[in-house]
Amino acid sequence: MKKNRPVLTRRDFIRGTIGATIGTSIFGLDWPQREANAISSSMVTVVRDKRAMDSSKNVDAKILDKMLAQTLTKVTGQNNSKDAWQSLLKPDDMIGLVPTQHLNPTHKEVIDAVKNSLMAAGFAKEKIKLAQGGPNEPKECTALIALPALKAHWLTGIGTVLKNYIMYSGNPSRYHKSNSSKLGEIWNFPFVKGKTKLVLVDSLYPLCDKGPQPDPRYKWAYNGLIAGMDPVAVETVGLKIITEKRKALRGEPWPLTPPPICVEAADTVYGLGTSRTEAITIEPYGWETDLLL
Amino acid sequence: MNTTKTSPSMSFFKKTFVCFIYVAFLHLLCEGAIAKLEVNTINLPKSIGNWTRFDAPREINSENIFAYMNGAGELYLAYRFQHLEVFEYTFGNQNNIVVELYYMETSDDAFGLLSLDWSGEPVFFEESPANTAIQPPATPLRGLYGAGLLRIWSDTIYARVLADRETPASKHTVLTLGRLIAAKRERPPEPELFRCPPEKIGSAWDLRKDRMSFFRSYLVLNSIYYLSEKDILDLDLSAEAVIVPYETMSNAAERKRSQFLLIKYEDRERARNALTHFHNAYLPEYSREFTTDSTHGKPILFELEDGWLGYKRIGNYVAIVFECPDRESAGTIIQKTESNLMTRGGDHEKK
Repeated sequence: MKKNRPVLTRRDFIRGTIGATIGTSIFGLDWPQREANAISSSMVTVVRDKRAMDSSKNVDAKILDKMLAQTLTKVTGQNNSKDAWQSLLKPDDMIGLVPTQHLNPTHKEVIDAVKNSLMAAGFAKEKIKLAQGGPNEPKECTALIALPALKAHWLTGIGTVLKNYIMYSGNPSRYHKSNSSKLGEIWNFPFVKGKTKLVLVDSLYPLCDKGPQPDPRYKWAYNGLIAGMDPVAVETVGLKIITEKRKALRGEPWPLTPPPICVEAADTVYGLGTSRTEAITIEPYGWETDLLL
Repeated sequence: MNTTKTSPSMSFFKKTFVCFIYVAFLHLLCEGAIAKLEVNTINLPKSIGNWTRFDAPREINSENIFAYMNGAGELYLAYRFQHLEVFEYTFGNQNNIVVELYYMETSDDAFGLLSLDWSGEPVFFEESPANTAIQPPATPLRGLYGAGLLRIWSDTIYARVLADRETPASKHTVLTLGRLIAAKRERPPEPELFRCPPEKIGSAWDLRKDRMSFFRSYLVLNSIYYLSEKDILDLDLSAEAVIVPYETMSNAAERKRSQFLLIKYEDRERARNALTHFHNAYLPEYSREFTTDSTHGKPILFELEDGWLGYKRIGNYVAIVFECPDRESAGTIIQKTESNLMTRGGDHEKK
């Protein structure tokens, strides 16, 4: 007899059965429950500088360059930006930078800083391109640097790292509604899988509610860059910052709703990294006020 | 066969008369249409303060809304969206003001969008409404401002007026644009359903009107109170729903909260089917105790992981309370709502 797929409900979150239900609700009961990804620990850096933006939210490019350099050395354990990039990329890589283009977009200054830093490290200008868009964009690249901006999203809870590749599907609305839990699937497409060498989240001026449409009431100057090589761990840290900011705004717990199921699914179903906070090492540097971690 | 012949002059007279009637009819028809169009068209000024706009607004419809705002488009499609006009005012190279006018099918839909967030500074538009007869006794909020963003419910229009940067000048301009949008437009009352949940339940429970929202879609419900990844309540654009928390402050140190959901379906059959669907998806282990028709008798109550859940179908309405700390309160919230619905009349009391 064919069994019905279970429906994920609020009760799964309360009972702590979300992981099992996600697997079965996405793939059906016959799908074997897989173990969490083998990644035992994922490091995520959070580099902040309170001078990164002025009171009018103009970005100070020099400060940003320093933040980027610090991020690169901390993430890779190398001594300088050049060595850091060279440890992440091959000399002949076609490098795609993947920012959020629209609706709380990645700051242009962040994209420029990454591009300039890559060129300073010896990567040719012609080998660096903006690669946000349809499936042809990642196909033309051998390495991707994800550069999303940190924001809450009304359909998926969070709309930052995992959602940043939605256009690569060629059919973004296929990942709307209940299918948003499948966003991790896109990262496993053959022309995407394994190409992401660094996830660098623009957290200068994040949005903690009502995204993706801009709502200045829920934006604040965090003045940070969040980075790592595990996309799920970086997303999880961004999620924690947003959640803590919401709590601070209301003075009581204000959980993201809908809950960001895509993050746990990226871990337990698609094996992209870890969403378990106990398996993530967070390394904060710089400005400590309202770190929210 | 006896036939009546008409003289040429009489025929000309008849034709002229018919033409006259036809032209007069067309004229009346066009006048009505133009008048209706004028009421539902916002003419924003070319320049306001230091800001100047592009000549024509950008037109967005349900086909191209995702190209304009990605997944945010689902929010507007979850209400009865018709089209969107976007005006962009520029002031040099910085601090643009964007005006988005969302034309919705009904005033309730535009209201629903505003009701998703009641925070902000209330803004009152003092122009006289076109029809004062429909002004409700207690004036509901129609505009909210915060940090550079003004949100407006003006009859069938929901508007967002957003300044890139908040300055005294941009705030003044944003509010002036808001007044122009709301000027001479109807001011219908809030949706009827919005007034159904009782404001107080006994002496303990208070309705949080500042957290009360009107919607039609499970996606919107999930963005306020997550229930399920699927539409387990069979919501669609024909349904109306409100969700609101009740809170008790009897013990100040430990505030208790219950969520209350009231849905009005097109008819009783849909309500009955929706409740069955909800029960099967949300309470599968209680299937034997379930009765699909709870119109008569007391609410059906279940003790779950997060407190008491109660529900009742009341004609074509479904009332559900979640996370209630005790059985008695869960039943009382539903019964009090049912009394309110009875008082308001309608056919919901009939099975």
